[in-house]
Amino acid sequence: MSKKLVSIYIEGRKIKVPEGYTVIEALWDTGHDIKRGVGCLSGLCGACAIAYLEKGSKRVRFGLGCQTIVKEGMNITVMPFFPSRTANYIISEMGKPIEKLREIYPELDTCKNCGFCTIACPEWINVSKVMKLLKEGKYEEATEMMLDCILCGLCASRCPYGIAPQFISLFVQRAISHEKPFPENLKKRLKEIEEMKYDEEWGRILQMSDEELVEFCKRIREEA
Amino acid sequence: MYSENLLENMELVEKTRESREKQQLPILNEKKKEKLLSSFHPDYRLSGFRALRVGVNRGDRTVHEIADLLEAFSSFDYREINFEKPDLETDVLVLGGGGAGITAALFAHSAGAKVILATKLRLGNSNTIMALGGMQASVSENDSPIRHFADTMVAGKFQGRRELVKAMVDDGPSIVKWLLDLGVNFDRDEKGNLLTKKAGGSIAPRILSIGDYTGLNIIKILKDEIRNRPEIEILEFAPAVELTTNEFGECNGAILFDLERKRFVLVKAKSVILATGGSGRLHIQGFQTSNNFGATGDAIVLAYRAGAKLEGLDSFQYHPTGIVYPDHMVGVLVTEAIRSLGAHLVNSKGERFINELETRDVVAAAMIKECEEGKGIKTPSGRVGVWLDTPVIEERYGKGFLKKKFPALFRMFMRVKINIEKQPLLVYPTLHYQNGGILIDEKGETTVKNLFVAGEAAGGIHGKNRLMGNSLLDIFVFGRRAGLAAARRKYNEPGKQTLSHLERYYQELKSLRITTVAKTPRIFQEYIVGD
Ligand SMILES: Cc1cc2nc3c(=O)[nH]c(=O)nc-3n(C[C@H](O)[C@H](O)[C@H](O)COP(=O)(O)OP(=O)(O)OC[C@H]3O[C@@H](n4cnc5c(N)ncnc54)[C@H](O)[C@@H]3O)c2cc1C
Ligand code: SF4
Ligand code: SF4
Ligand code: FES
Repeated sequence: MSKKLVSIYIEGRKIKVPEGYTVIEALWDTGHDIKRGVGCLSGLCGACAIAYLEKGSKRVRFGLGCQTIVKEGMNITVMPFFPSRTANYIISEMGKPIEKLREIYPELDTCKNCGFCTIACPEWINVSKVMKLLKEGKYEEATEMMLDCILCGLCASRCPYGIAPQFISLFVQRAISHEKPFPENLKKRLKEIEEMKYDEEWGRILQMSDEELVEFCKRIREEA
Repeated sequence: MYSENLLENMELVEKTRESREKQQLPILNEKKKEKLLSSFHPDYRLSGFRALRVGVNRGDRTVHEIADLLEAFSSFDYREINFEKPDLETDVLVLGGGGAGITAALFAHSAGAKVILATKLRLGNSNTIMALGGMQASVSENDSPIRHFADTMVAGKFQGRRELVKAMVDDGPSIVKWLLDLGVNFDRDEKGNLLTKKAGGSIAPRILSIGDYTGLNIIKILKDEIRNRPEIEILEFAPAVELTTNEFGECNGAILFDLERKRFVLVKAKSVILATGGSGRLHIQGFQTSNNFGATGDAIVLAYRAGAKLEGLDSFQYHPTGIVYPDHMVGVLVTEAIRSLGAHLVNSKGERFINELETRDVVAAAMIKECEEGKGIKTPSGRVGVWLDTPVIEERYGKGFLKKKFPALFRMFMRVKINIEKQPLLVYPTLHYQNGGILIDEKGETTVKNLFVAGEAAGGIHGKNRLMGNSLLDIFVFGRRAGLAAARRKYNEPGKQTLSHLERYYQELKSLRITTVAKTPRIFQEYIVGD
């Protein structure tokens, strides 16, 4: 089966690849030894950030190389490792980490909510709104919106002020989860285990013959 | 956007939707299940297997792809390495930067050991990041570690080792606490309890999740945590290509290959933890895969050549719903939850053919049967699949349900102009999980001293079939156990680094007159894109 070819530009070089290929496949097909900008090939890991200009379009767009299909005349560059500032902290050693937000990420307040980050996000997250909510202290709502963030770094690459929204919100996500009251159901189970509630039964299980074990498991499952 | 012939067949799916909704398909009895599995499940396809001719497991049955991997010489010529002068020295060397590896590194570090973590791709790029559904742990009121144990043993057809299963389920609740303390935000119910969901094969609700992106949200936090411990040295794009052993055959380091500089890095260590994950990218029996690009079974090769025993590498999990259209998404997973909520599997005649809530192996076998009997749907590039009728769910739970519940899935298909609210998906079983691996004990140690294994690379836990959600649990449990036990070896005398195990292995290959063009470990599959 011979496929129709399309001409594209990869990092300035003009090449022809079969129609229907993703940017990653086009790179492989043309002998690029792509390892740095690839991971899951499923749109989940954020390793394959790209910028591209479509033929006739007036605006550069952003996306994931494993999910973007090449089109005639497309001009593409890969940009997997955009520099973004990450702060240092050990959450489990901080009493109330969220109170330290502005100390750890003072750049939060330099955000002007210009919306450039939102335009770049391949996960369709309204990143600018997330930043606004973070500034207002609406942490739950903000981090809820960022659950699908794959840390591709494209938002940070667009920010005129050099802010990295993905890392600020990750800190907040960790900080507020860390402070949530400990779940009762887990607390109970841990206590049972600590009090060795199941130890006797484990002792018996480890001693059982294979046949006894099969019978035992069957019974446990039927009782439930 | 679907092609013409697919759109045509899809009309049939729409036409039969209403009548299908009224239909009740029975759960098969044991005999029928066995028959279906033995006729159509890839694990039972005799032609797919052979007996290993070399090494500790000689005579054991495994798939050709794994046998090829093991009955082969290395891709590298190690003569240029000076074994007297390692490039790096450490207490614990962790290989693999997925969930198991990062966990092992964090625990070994907290136990006071000097740690180096080397990984093939970017830190965190792994199968762990792709896990959608969730993680098992017995935390709910009407559950217990014993119940979790029984479910796991039954699912694995009693081929899992009971002491390992006990270790896994018993540590479950405390590993959840560890994750919570790090700031992992498992979903909660109104009362603030951990929300638990029911999964196929489990008698109690036991799945903990974070939206439909569980693995991603755990990895983001583990990566953030390890980044904040600068004493742990991280080497990215540096896969391990061989282990080293001392005169007693104990493991004492590894050879890495720096992918950028194209040169070897010799690391000497007092103990080594292999956490390089599974082998989906070997495309066993020609199957598409849900696994990440780096999942080429390297751990098995490295450990086996060093003399470690393997277990259960004749059993793999094929997830029923892997995408077959469009081409660039082939193998990508559609979460089980879609079937749990009632989506139908539909053949080219518009009929359902199996109760969608059967276990993964049974559903996969039934799908393969339909396709082999000519009731599959062909894509323009020649693949075959059956429909997964997602609009059924939308009709049952109301408009907007899918978009709200499965934003990632919805978005993924919207990018290619397929609206899962209105159009079904084309799916076929996808190679998902390596049920067996390198045999470990409760500490995570292999039959080679000072060599530990954690995660999907390990064997002996899941028997013939893994329960959904048990893998995410096992990587953290055994990552912790291996990390702590490995750290305790920091007063070891590692001895001289050699490759004498490799020489012995090569001797055996040669004496059996095995010649092969295959070179392993594979590191990356060569993908020949093109027609
Ligand atoms: C799409 C998908 C969905 C899943 N969903 C679930 C789920 O909902 N629940 C569940 O319990 N399980 C699920 N699983 C299974 C589970 O995610 C994995 O089995 C588990 O995460 C494996 O963890 P790991 O740390 O052992 O390996 P991985 O997470 O795969 O990590 C291995 C790491 O080692 C690196 N590596 C590979 N070779 C080398 C080498 N030679 N040297 C150095 N580094 C190397 C890799 O690059 C990778 O970073 C899913 C799997 C997939 C693929
Ligand atoms: S681009 Fe920068 S300044 Fe603009 S909204 Fe986003 S984070 Fe704020
Ligand atoms: S929020 Fe930023 S880092 Fe996260 S997915 Fe969107 S663009 Fe990528
Ligand atoms: S390779 Fe993981 S998102 Fe593209």
